[in-house]
Amino acid sequence: MVALDMSRPVAVQAESRPAIRIEGACKWFGDLKVLDTVDAEIADCEFVSILGPSGCGKSTLLRLMAGLVPYEEGNITLLDTPVESPSGDVGFVFQTSNLLPWANVRKNLLLAAELDRKASQPDEAAIVAMVETLGLTGFEDSYPHELSGGMRHRVAIGQALIRSPRVLLMDEPFGALDALTRDHLNVELLKIWQKEKKTVVLVTHSIAESILLSDRVLVMSERPGRVIRDIRIDLPRPRHPSETRKDPLFGEYAAELGRLMGVA
Amino acid sequence: MKKVRKSNGPGAVRGFMEGALFLAVLIGIWEISIDLFEVKAYLLPPPSAIAAELWVSRGELFEHGIITMGEVLWGFLLAVGLGIPVAAVIFFSSLAKRTLYPLMVALQSIPKIGLAPIIVVWFGYGLSSKVVMAFLFAFFPVVISTLGGLASTPANMEEHFRALRASALQTFWRLRVPAAMPSFVDGCKVAMPLAVIGAIVGEFVGSNDGLGNLILLATGSSNTPLTFAALLTVTILSLGLFYIVEILGRFVWWRST
Repeated sequence: MVALDMSRPVAVQAESRPAIRIEGACKWFGDLKVLDTVDAEIADCEFVSILGPSGCGKSTLLRLMAGLVPYEEGNITLLDTPVESPSGDVGFVFQTSNLLPWANVRKNLLLAAELDRKASQPDEAAIVAMVETLGLTGFEDSYPHELSGGMRHRVAIGQALIRSPRVLLMDEPFGALDALTRDHLNVELLKIWQKEKKTVVLVTHSIAESILLSDRVLVMSERPGRVIRDIRIDLPRPRHPSETRKDPLFGEYAAELGRLMGVA
Repeated sequence: MKKVRKSNGPGAVRGFMEGALFLAVLIGIWEISIDLFEVKAYLLPPPSAIAAELWVSRGELFEHGIITMGEVLWGFLLAVGLGIPVAAVIFFSSLAKRTLYPLMVALQSIPKIGLAPIIVVWFGYGLSSKVVMAFLFAFFPVVISTLGGLASTPANMEEHFRALRASALQTFWRLRVPAAMPSFVDGCKVAMPLAVIGAIVGEFVGSNDGLGNLILLATGSSNTPLTFAALLTVTILSLGLFYIVEILGRFVWWRST
């Protein structure tokens, strides 16, 4: 039995300046309290997953970080700036791929840059490199309806990455995909993260996905959501779905997270 | 090697052949029945008489057809040209949504055929009264479909555009307008045949020319074959204009995806 330190306090003091700092954030939808004094810090270049039961407000928390949804109480700062509206430093990947059906892959990728003239505009080489990174070479002129679900999600990730944001926020981006495609995209995501060194916050309801990808997993309670645990995943990198799952530590983490989620 | 059979190739041709054959049989029965039951030509002419009339009066039918087509097209274009901005105003202004929109719905409920006489009084016997009638028939479907299209922009796409920091203007032109196009095209498909009806009604009430006028004159002088020939011309005109909209609508190919 491997001894695990799973009793870390909530909101670990990050070593360096945090990319995202959430202090006492509360959120109501009318009379319904969805987030209850959430505290969290996410370090620069850290990969953090937010795991929680459905309806716990984890997607809402991500939207607060992105400036897509206003919050009533607390403070959220992103790269030392209080979050008030969507920032150019953030790339957001939604649960649905949200591609324009009338635009091909290339135009969908460029959309993100075109809509924000202040953002750095990618040159031809950058587009080619992005398409290659996403594994979409040869599909530049294809339209969304001609792509598989997994490929559409690749384009959506590309849209978020094309402006070279420092923070990538992902809201269950692979939730609608089959397990195999999901594994593939997880591998791709890890590669991209390792190459480009970004801060990533991933909302997921998959325990396995959170362990496979993250440096840390923040576990949220049922609504109103609070961060109840902060678990550091000390698995060696680079990780790979089939290899990493064989690691006995993986099972330990999975058991612990499952217990916290009330499924084991 | 196994050859893959195209599913709609021979099927489509066969379907067309069957349809044409069915129509030919019906026309044949019609032709024979007229002879058999000694139906008077001024009541119901045989298809052969209508075909002969179509040929003899082809110049006349064409001239009147062009006039009616002009009325329809002007009315339709006016409906589109005014309908889009009106829909946009209603969409963006809550004041317009509370005032202009209910008024429009109320006006739509007026039987427009009942308006035709006063429209002719106001706009005269010429082109403009028919254009107004065609416009009145086509306007509402254009506004409603455009409005519906603008309002149907998926919420997740709007949020996505917000996350991408798009301005309101960018969101309008790059998201709402293309997203509204399929519904707009559907509205145009409804509006075009309605514009034909509007123009014909206008011609019935007061006109010097056009296919509606010709139908009135032919029926009045018991030239029933000409009535039917003119009716057939209106039908062809209406179908033709519909297919022009249909073909233009194919530029909005994401309708079907």
